[in-house]
Amino acid sequence: MFKQFKAIEADLSLRYSKNRDPWGLEPKRAIADLKVIWPFYHYYFNVVVHGKENVKDRPYMVVSNHTGQVPIDGLLICTAFATEIDSPRILRPLIERFLTSLPFLGRWSSEGGAVLGDRTNCLNLLKRGESVLIFPEGVKGIAKNTKDHYKLQRFTRGFLRMAIASGSEILPIAVVGAEEFFPYVIHLKKLAHFFKIPAFPLSANLFPLPSPVDIYIGEPYSLPSGLSPEALDEDLDFYLNEIEQKIQQLTQNGLKNRRSLMKRKK
Amino acid sequence: MNHSLAMKSVLIIGIQGALAKITAELLIKKNSNIKIHGVDSRDIDNVPSRPQLTYQQMKYTRTNFEKIFREFQFDTILHLGRLGHSPAMGNINKRIDINLVGTNTILELAQKFQCKKVVILSTHHVYGALSDNSMFLKEDSPLRGSFKYAELRDVVEMDQMCTNWMWKNQNSIETVVLRPCNIIGPQIKNSITQFLKTPYAPLPVDYNPMFQFVHEFDMANIIVDSAEKLKTGIYNVAGDDVITLHEAAKIINVKKLKVPIVVVEQLAKILTPVWKFPHYLIDYLKYPSTLDNSELKKNLGDDIFRFTAIEALELLKSH
Repeated sequence: MFKQFKAIEADLSLRYSKNRDPWGLEPKRAIADLKVIWPFYHYYFNVVVHGKENVKDRPYMVVSNHTGQVPIDGLLICTAFATEIDSPRILRPLIERFLTSLPFLGRWSSEGGAVLGDRTNCLNLLKRGESVLIFPEGVKGIAKNTKDHYKLQRFTRGFLRMAIASGSEILPIAVVGAEEFFPYVIHLKKLAHFFKIPAFPLSANLFPLPSPVDIYIGEPYSLPSGLSPEALDEDLDFYLNEIEQKIQQLTQNGLKNRRSLMKRKK
Repeated sequence: MNHSLAMKSVLIIGIQGALAKITAELLIKKNSNIKIHGVDSRDIDNVPSRPQLTYQQMKYTRTNFEKIFREFQFDTILHLGRLGHSPAMGNINKRIDINLVGTNTILELAQKFQCKKVVILSTHHVYGALSDNSMFLKEDSPLRGSFKYAELRDVVEMDQMCTNWMWKNQNSIETVVLRPCNIIGPQIKNSITQFLKTPYAPLPVDYNPMFQFVHEFDMANIIVDSAEKLKTGIYNVAGDDVITLHEAAKIINVKKLKVPIVVVEQLAKILTPVWKFPHYLIDYLKYPSTLDNSELKKNLGDDIFRFTAIEALELLKSH
């Protein structure tokens, strides 16, 4: 493991300067965090990445389904892109403003690469050649009751407009296995509203179960060059549906081959 | 338009401030025939002794301003006299009087006496420090500084009053509103400089926002350039480099008390008599309020800054 991280560290150090970037990413700190997360990623969640060959050495707008009550899926996708892809990179997840306002967690997440999810930040990051991670379902994606597990929530169109404006390719991702971290859960929406937090899940287990996770990376999706970022919603819906379907398809295929707690990869 | 050769008589409001003094020196260095008159409502001392520079302490009343406008026939007004918000800076009435009523009088008189150029120093505080601020706020970003803190109300209102006036009178008078990031330097005594230089000032351990700093000399240069070259408009002033609060404190190398933000907030309240730290600045220790500088660079060029943020901090430390 130590050897593997030496190589990853060398790769990432080549790609990123030692200094922080304007959004607060501290590469040294991010790599140190990866070393802590990686044993959980590899041994506890037993993550397997499919479709690595679809990721080339260029910036992407990585778009994923959102599952698992707490955004562990984001951490796992970021770890996959930093440690398992041929051109490793620190993905820049666009996060909820609620997270950026929290003490310690906001600081830790921005030092690890997370950025407040707004259009200006996203476009500036893509312009600088960074790859961003977006969950277009938003909080609705993770704040689901057990009966709704793996049901893709309606995507918002903002990411599509940003992809058009920046001319970025969209890399569809499906995470399968994360909903089983908290298999029985109900959402107390009124309490969430009362505490002014995005979600208030109540689960049978407090710590995520060691459900094996499969990350499926689809083929990059390019939007037509003539499309305007200010196009009417109706004109964008065709592409929005296509991306949703691609991720839904990846999820369905993943569910067919879902690994149980007993079927962990050695 | 190059206004430099036309600049003959300049009024500097807030001449007691370090930035105003440096700006006056730069103007004289550039044009030895210039006449500068500085005014301030505070006691004035340590003003450089130059034949081109006169100054007076006065109340910011319409009568007093009219008198000097008549006497000096200013063609350029540099309004650098906004009052800060440290609890030690006196009562709110005085601040509103200077920041709003005084500014309004100056703008009216600038129009009446047919001045050619007005440069107004606002601040990045007008944007506010909020958890949902984008990195690099553009000049057209909403001014949310006073959402949470009423003490910033006059700062935001002054900025808005100036920009409204600027667009209304753009055909008769060139007006530039500058919104600089944190100005630091050995001579500047603003709240953020004091905070960075104060030993054992509480530093939040749970937040580490990005900061931009501009050296006092660069800022003064930009004010002079604004008077000479910038066309009517609002311009953010910040360098290209950003640095975290903790990195800045590390460069200054003064011991800090690292505590959670809740403790910083309580200390700021309890220690008000001895620790002159405006309460609204607590939010700037939590969330970013960083500026996009593309408009300024588009008009003045890429090489307007002599010092990077790190160099400006190093210089502050060495003093």
